[in-house]
Amino acid sequence: MPSTLFQKVWDRHVLSVTHESTLLYIDRHLIHEVTSPQAFDGLRLAGRKVRRPDLTFATIDHNVPTEDQLHVKDPLSKRQIETLRANCEEFGVELFDVKSGRQGIVHMIGPELGLTLPGTTIVCGDSHTSTHGAFGALAFGIGTSEVEHVLATQTLWQGKRPASLGIEVTGELGFGMEPKDVILAAIRALGVAGGTGTVFEYYGPTIRGLSMEGRMTICNMSIEGGARAGLIAPDDVTFEYLAAGDRPFAPMGRALDAAIADWKTLKTDDDAKFDQHVAIDASKIAPQVTWGTNPAMTVDADGHVPTLDELPSAQRAEAERAYQYMGLTPGVPIERIPVDVVFIGSCTNGRIEDLRRVAEVMKGRKNAQGVRTLIVPGSEQVRAQAEAEGLDRIFTAFGAEWREPGCSMCLAMNPDKLQPGQRAASTSNRNFEGRQGPGGRTHLLSPTMAAAAAVTGRLTDVRRLPKV
Amino acid sequence: MKPFTVHRGKVAVLDWTDVNTDLIIPARYLKRIERVGYGPLFFADRRYVQGGAPPIDHPEKHGAPDPDFPLNRPENQGASVLVVGKNFGCGSSREHAVWAVAQAGFAVLVAPGKDEGFADIFEGNALNNGVLAIEIPTPDWERIVEVAGAGGAQAVVDLHKQTVVVQNGPATVEVPFEIPDARRERLLKGLDAVAETLLLDADIARHEQAAPAWLKPATA
Ligand code: SF4
Repeated sequence: MPSTLFQKVWDRHVLSVTHESTLLYIDRHLIHEVTSPQAFDGLRLAGRKVRRPDLTFATIDHNVPTEDQLHVKDPLSKRQIETLRANCEEFGVELFDVKSGRQGIVHMIGPELGLTLPGTTIVCGDSHTSTHGAFGALAFGIGTSEVEHVLATQTLWQGKRPASLGIEVTGELGFGMEPKDVILAAIRALGVAGGTGTVFEYYGPTIRGLSMEGRMTICNMSIEGGARAGLIAPDDVTFEYLAAGDRPFAPMGRALDAAIADWKTLKTDDDAKFDQHVAIDASKIAPQVTWGTNPAMTVDADGHVPTLDELPSAQRAEAERAYQYMGLTPGVPIERIPVDVVFIGSCTNGRIEDLRRVAEVMKGRKNAQGVRTLIVPGSEQVRAQAEAEGLDRIFTAFGAEWREPGCSMCLAMNPDKLQPGQRAASTSNRNFEGRQGPGGRTHLLSPTMAAAAAVTGRLTDVRRLPKV
Repeated sequence: MKPFTVHRGKVAVLDWTDVNTDLIIPARYLKRIERVGYGPLFFADRRYVQGGAPPIDHPEKHGAPDPDFPLNRPENQGASVLVVGKNFGCGSSREHAVWAVAQAGFAVLVAPGKDEGFADIFEGNALNNGVLAIEIPTPDWERIVEVAGAGGAQAVVDLHKQTVVVQNGPATVEVPFEIPDARRERLLKGLDAVAETLLLDADIARHEQAAPAWLKPATA
């Protein structure tokens, strides 16, 4: 029977099916400090061990300060971090600790270290685990009890196999356009619940033309479209990424050859059908910016904050709340909105290619007066690479802060927070109320767009930024 | 988990409807890293005198009990069977709510109405933590409340026989209850989800043995 990529990966991991439940084998379990403490406690109370410590990997990302990783001032953050260290020690789990050279946001380091492989199942107590789907892995977030279940059994109970939703992207990305714009446009088209109960597969020539970094940005935000996971079929770009560079956990030599032979079968068969299908023409989209308090409240950068009568009636009540929370007048041009903070980083856009594009915009320019610009590499590897390329010097000459790796202002669990009422241009993935600090206002956009906002001090269509 | 067969204990009644998980345990306590210590946090904003809710990291440092909170009555102290109102545990999915129930000493919850007594997620979490959540017809539940409401009643909850017997002085009520077979089995055997999965250990091991070599993380 013809099948989709998602079906193929799912079917490979089914151990048992009873009634409405499916037991899946989990190939990689990633862990961070926030959602794991009670899971380890549960193991301890039951006198259990981690079944496969060799398939379990931990890092510290959410609570870590990015000014100086070694000085955690908040006692509750400190305790969460130290708890993870103790748990990893006790249960024999490898921890990529700060200053190990391998620390970073959990969804950055999985791919970087070669842990994330095509055709595997990957879980983490974190919803943006969908990122790893860029490699053709089935990757999704789980709750704390499930973390404990995976630790103890290396398996996970799921319901029936979810439906598939194909997102076909064609057309060339124009000047100033980025993968972030593609995914924001897709969420804008689908709505935040459009993918509920489905798994996305992104395909088409535009997706094929993207680097692994770009593909990860897209899969990362599948969850913002309501899907638990989003996949892209592996191809030569994937194989080259895994074969190149320092990927200590990826297969090498003959094992890699065998793996690639297998991975080549991981694609949706020509005659397989998705349960649902959406098409996006990338050549027709403008840079995207969110104006409201969920990621589907998105407009073109050269557009305006939608007025009530431009919105479907079902969205008006939420829009009215959003105007108020965001401190915006309906109809105001996007480019007229001033920002206080520019945040460049997160598991959506904290990768080396993102930083290279930011540097291109910042080179020879100056940070707008009164705007605070934070550039937070997603991992120690990215930080080192950026410094080797001299990007950090471009950033500091521009007037931005070059910080240490972590989740930072994506969710403000560490000291990087917006003050109430402050407005941020942010390359992260969620613009919910209070997400970047209580009362903080978030506009999601691409790294180039964020850099443009840092130059002008307001939301700016990067295509119109005057040349230096 | 310990197998649940027969439970004997004192009965307390808290017959409020739609008790949500925020009431059972306020959101701020989710910053805790522990899976224990939730007993004093059970109804933390209701059971102590004003300002008496404990700090996040010191559950034991709580204020004096508020005499108006039903579970604080002297006759309810030491109760392990809690009779609750309809839709108990609604709201968020936080498992902390069940941890608080269990660690406050309750092994059995009795609610009225089939499929209406407990919120879905809460019910699943209860099962995962070995707490028996029983739904009985409303008229039976009312008889139990009548007998136990004054305080001091004793209950015998028998999962084999699927009966609850509540006795208070000369008054006795015996009520049968239903529970899905799979849940009953899991509780009787003391299996948590993990223990149940481990029954499939042979399947898991077989899958692991068949794994291709490239799947094993290469070591640095
Ligand atoms: S960067 Fe943000 S979205 Fe990504 S894992 Fe960290 S907190 Fe979650």
